[in-house]
Amino acid sequence: MRKVTGTVLGKTVAQAVKLRGKSGGQALPGLIVETLIPGYLGAMLQQLPDGVAIITGTNGKTTTTKMVVELLRASGKKVLTNATGSNLTRGIISSVSQQATKAGRLPFDIAVFELDEAYASQFTRVLKPRFVLGLNASRDQLDRFGEVDMVARLIGDTMLSASERIITNADDQRLSAIAASTKIPVSYFGVAPSLLTYFPRDDELVAVDGGTATLQAAEVPLAVELMHFRGTEAVYRFGKQKFTTNLQITGQHNFQNAAGALALVQAILPKADPAALAKDLAKIKPAFGRGQAFRLKNGSMLQLNLVKNPASFRQGLASYVKPGTVTMIAINDNIADGRDMSWLWDVDFTSLQHRPVALAAGCRAADMALRLQYDDVAVQTIEPDLEQALRIFCGLSENKVIFATYTAMLKLHAMLGKQAGKTL
Amino acid sequence: MTAPKLHIVHLYPNEMNTYGDRGNLLTLKRRAEWHGLEPMIHYYHAGNTFPADADIVLGGGGQDSAQDAIQDDILGIGNELHRLVDKGVPMLLVCGAYQLFGKRFITSGGQEIKGIAVFDVETMASPKRLVGNIAIETADFGTLYGFENHSGRTILGQDQEVFGTVIRGNGNNGSDKTEGARTHNAIGTYMHGPLLPNNPMLTDNLLQVALRRRGIEYKLRTLDDHLAKQTAKNAKSRLY
Repeated sequence: MRKVTGTVLGKTVAQAVKLRGKSGGQALPGLIVETLIPGYLGAMLQQLPDGVAIITGTNGKTTTTKMVVELLRASGKKVLTNATGSNLTRGIISSVSQQATKAGRLPFDIAVFELDEAYASQFTRVLKPRFVLGLNASRDQLDRFGEVDMVARLIGDTMLSASERIITNADDQRLSAIAASTKIPVSYFGVAPSLLTYFPRDDELVAVDGGTATLQAAEVPLAVELMHFRGTEAVYRFGKQKFTTNLQITGQHNFQNAAGALALVQAILPKADPAALAKDLAKIKPAFGRGQAFRLKNGSMLQLNLVKNPASFRQGLASYVKPGTVTMIAINDNIADGRDMSWLWDVDFTSLQHRPVALAAGCRAADMALRLQYDDVAVQTIEPDLEQALRIFCGLSENKVIFATYTAMLKLHAMLGKQAGKTL
Repeated sequence: MTAPKLHIVHLYPNEMNTYGDRGNLLTLKRRAEWHGLEPMIHYYHAGNTFPADADIVLGGGGQDSAQDAIQDDILGIGNELHRLVDKGVPMLLVCGAYQLFGKRFITSGGQEIKGIAVFDVETMASPKRLVGNIAIETADFGTLYGFENHSGRTILGQDQEVFGTVIRGNGNNGSDKTEGARTHNAIGTYMHGPLLPNNPMLTDNLLQVALRRRGIEYKLRTLDDHLAKQTAKNAKSRLY
């Protein structure tokens, strides 16, 4: 009964929010259903024949979820997922009620959800997922989390709620130690030892004197290994078989995340053909604001890239700053961005030294320019107003890259949708 | 004249580095260079011999687990650090390092962690973290801006000098308006941000004091600080 009532209620609220023209109404239907009809989410998701898979971690959740969903769909599965950015339980309830039939039936085989690491336990209390993919644990929004060990504990608790299998990153010492401590079967993904330098672990982001992480990568057999990458080409190893693929998804961090996505899909579909998976992976495009490319009216290209913490900013700089490109950095300090600017000082910007930054933007534009001053990187214009900044930036003829914190990225994305030619 | 050398010692950089405190070291180093000085950076790791000629000592915030790991080591170099404080060596000890330079830290489980007692302060863990932008008024450095993020509540002993008075934010404990502690030229504080790039007058003061203590009269240059002035102006008008 609650399946029907909850679904109808969720749809009604969503409709009302839509009629009143309110944006950001993703969470409200979920919030109301969650409050009025306890047990709705669990009852709904129990219908799914292939259960639920959860993806969590500090960086890469959205892109990895997109990869897993599209790989499963390419293999013929009907997949329910949450809308980008709605990674709290109420966002998931909204998605579920809107995608269910009025009779309260979910016409899907499996659900794949991205979950915010801080709120994942709200979900796992309601329903034990069959599979949990833990991507990485890194210093992130410490004004929310306090410290890195806490971040790892939250992700670890979610991993340990898996009923069938954990999939995690062998190269993340904190997460692989948690996986090794349990009797739940584990599939590991990882990168070849020679590539580790491109994917620094949290402790290595700030280590000095060649100081290395205190914990070593787990010596475990890998279900999927990223063996090599160059440009858009990546080579993955499944057991003894190697597959080369050309990715449309950009950013070297996403080559690592793809190994995690492949390992999860293999756990869900043990009979899937790795060659077919590698082929399907090549068709997937970047997720919303995560290395997404736009063709501007003046013919130049613009890549919009979310940065959230030292690890993601570092990966972004390594992946997207190329000869001939101009850069804009947009930093806001709303709660969703992280209110503390200290983390910008854990990012090494010296790679921008000979590529002056055209614009620092966002409400913390001056803080960003100050940070760059100490790495001898010149900023041509400081413009806190994002609209004004984007207008100036788009007027430049060169190819462009924007690094933006979460709320700045959302705003820029909306503006680009209007003024850019098309998303590639 | 050859550039005067300044030896800057960074304590436990691999363990105590949680909230961008590395920016304090970078700022000291770069400003020293811009002033025409020659900064020499020494990373002090647990088990090392403490550098003999420290001119400035820096320490950052750490996770609880990291603080545990260096606990024994810092007690071992406590006498050396006391000697430097008494000689007037400027120090900046942020968050976790500030707590370890106090008398003791009581964890949430009631366990007592001894500090080296450069500051007559005691810290108790508290379930609620004090997090947010902070502004303080200091006698020697004017108004300073930063960001605090700590679970410890620190109480000053009766005769302990404070670093500053809270204008906005929480400071030592959220109730008595004090922020940080100061003993001679050693400063303990909860302010991240990081503190030094955002407050260049404090940074230059550390450099000037270090030079003077070595008997070097050196006129620091006037640097282009318009960006730090802008961030201070923004911080002043920030609502929260």
